[in-house]
Amino acid sequence: MRKHAGLAVCLVALSLPRLALASTSEFPNPLPPDTGARTTVLPEKYPSGWAFLNFPYNRIELRNVGADSREVKGELQGHDSTNLLMATGRPEIYVLDTVWSRGSRGVRTDFITVYDTKTLDATGEIVLPAPRALVSPMSGTFMFTDHERLGLVFNFRPATSVTVVDLVKRKVLSEIEIPGCSLAYPTGERGFSTLCGSGTLLSIRLGPDGKALARSESKKFNDLDQDPLFTESSAIGGVQYFPTMLGRIQPIDMSSDEPKILPAWSLLNAEDTAGQWRPSGWQTITTDDHNTLYVLMQPGAHEGTHKDPGTEIWAFDATTQKRQRRLRLVRPGATIAMTRGSDALLLVQADDRVDVYDPLNGALVRSVGIVGLSNHMMIQPVR
Amino acid sequence: MLGTLLAGTATLPLLPVARAGAADSGPANPGSSKDSAISSGNLQDPGDQTSCDYWRYCAIDGSLCSCYGGTVTSCPPGLEMSPITWIGTCHNPADERNYIISYNDCCGGVAQGRCACQRNEGDRPVVRPQNNNEITWCFQTKSQSYTCTVAIILGVALDQKK
Repeated sequence: MRKHAGLAVCLVALSLPRLALASTSEFPNPLPPDTGARTTVLPEKYPSGWAFLNFPYNRIELRNVGADSREVKGELQGHDSTNLLMATGRPEIYVLDTVWSRGSRGVRTDFITVYDTKTLDATGEIVLPAPRALVSPMSGTFMFTDHERLGLVFNFRPATSVTVVDLVKRKVLSEIEIPGCSLAYPTGERGFSTLCGSGTLLSIRLGPDGKALARSESKKFNDLDQDPLFTESSAIGGVQYFPTMLGRIQPIDMSSDEPKILPAWSLLNAEDTAGQWRPSGWQTITTDDHNTLYVLMQPGAHEGTHKDPGTEIWAFDATTQKRQRRLRLVRPGATIAMTRGSDALLLVQADDRVDVYDPLNGALVRSVGIVGLSNHMMIQPVR
Repeated sequence: MLGTLLAGTATLPLLPVARAGAADSGPANPGSSKDSAISSGNLQDPGDQTSCDYWRYCAIDGSLCSCYGGTVTSCPPGLEMSPITWIGTCHNPADERNYIISYNDCCGGVAQGRCACQRNEGDRPVVRPQNNNEITWCFQTKSQSYTCTVAIILGVALDQKK
C-alpha cells in the first residue's frame, strides 16, 4: 500500500506541470474580459416547449421541457396558493398571490402582480380588497374573460364571491356574490359560470364595468354525491370538457352567455368498468389542437383514490367519443398538460419528474427531474 | 353519507373545511420527513399519531400537528386553531366504530411540509366545500396562513356502515 501511494504521488507530481504546459501551449492567449454583462431577456414569443411549473407555496418556474437542455428560463415569486395567467394579446403575465406582512403573521395582502413577458420585470400590481380562496391551485380560481381584458378571482370567506379586475387598467371593478357556488369559468363574450353545490351551473353576464348584468341557472346536472365533476377541465372550441369521478365526460358549451349542458358520455366500455378504471389525479384532462381529449386514468379505483396518480392516459375523439389509443405511462402521474403547436408534447408530472411524451405514439421523449416537484401542482404550457 | 350525518347532528360545526398548503409528496401516505412516533397509549385508539396511516387521518390533506410540537388534538405552541373545520368520517379498527372527525387547521406558524399527508376518503370537489380537503380553513383566526391540522373526535357517527 505504501509503495502504491508513493507511486501515485509521483505520477501526480509529474503530470501537473505537463498538463499546465499543454494547456498554455494549446491556448496561448487568455480569455478576454467579459463585456456586456446584463440581465437576461426572454423572447417576445416563448417557444412552444416552455411551460410554467407552479410550486404554489414557493415559486413559479418557467422551464424548457421541450428540449433536452431542460433549462430553467426564469422564476416568479409565489407564497400561498399562487395562480398564474399568461395573456396572448399583450406581453403580460399575471400572478395571483397572498402574503402576510410578517411572514405568516401580520397584515394579509391579496394581490395580482403584473410581469412583462420579456423581462419578467414586475410592472404593476393590483391589490385585491376581498380575501381570495386559499386552496390548492386549480382552474377556476383565477381566469380571464372579455378577451383577456378582465380577470376573475374566486373568493372564499367561506361565503363565496368573484372579484372582477380590469387587468389592462389594473384596477378592481366589482365583487359579485355567488352564494353556494364555487370557482369561475369564462363564459360568452364577457361573463363567467360557476359550479353550485346544488348541482347546477350559475352563469353571470357582465357589463363593461364589471358589474353583473344578468344571471341564469341551469337545471341540476352535477351529481355531487355519486359522480361529481372534477373541477379541472379542458376546452375545445368553446366547449369545456369535465371528467367525472366515475368515468364520464360532461361537455358544457360556454361559448354563449347562456351555456348549454351537453349530453354526458362514458369513457368506459364494459371491460373498463369491470376493471374499475376511473379518471384520477390533479390535472386529469388536457386537449390538443386536433379535437382530442386526453384523460388520466387509474385501474382498480375506489372511494378515496380519485387524486392518486394514474397509470395510463386515454385519448378520445371529442366528436365521435371513441377512444383512439391508450398511452401507458412509464411511471404513474398526477397532472397532465399539452404544449401547443404542431409538435405538441404531452407533459406528465410524476413524483419529482416531468415526463414528456409524444402524444401520438406514447413514446417517452425525455424525463426531467425537478427538485420539489410534487402532486397537486399545476403545469401550464405557454400560450 | 357525510351530508346526511352533518344534517342529523346538531352539535357539529355548520361549515366544513380543510387544510391545504404544505407541499404533499404522495397520494396516500408519503410520511415525509417523519422522524418520531407518538402513541395514545390507549388500545382503543391505536396507531402512530405522527403517521398518515393513523386511523383518524382518513380524510386529511395537510401536515400533522403531532409533528410540529402539537398533538392529534392540539395546535403547536404559538399557533391558533380555526374554529371552523372540515369534517370526515373515519373507521376505528380497534372498536370497529365509525367516528366523526373534525380536521381543525392550525394557523399562523411555520409550514414546512413535515409529515405531509393526503388521504381522500369521502373527499369531494371544492364545489361542495364541506366535503373538500383542499381549502385552507383558517377563519376567525388572526392569521390565515396554514401550518398544520389536528384530528379531533366529535362523536360516534350515526351511520355505522363501513
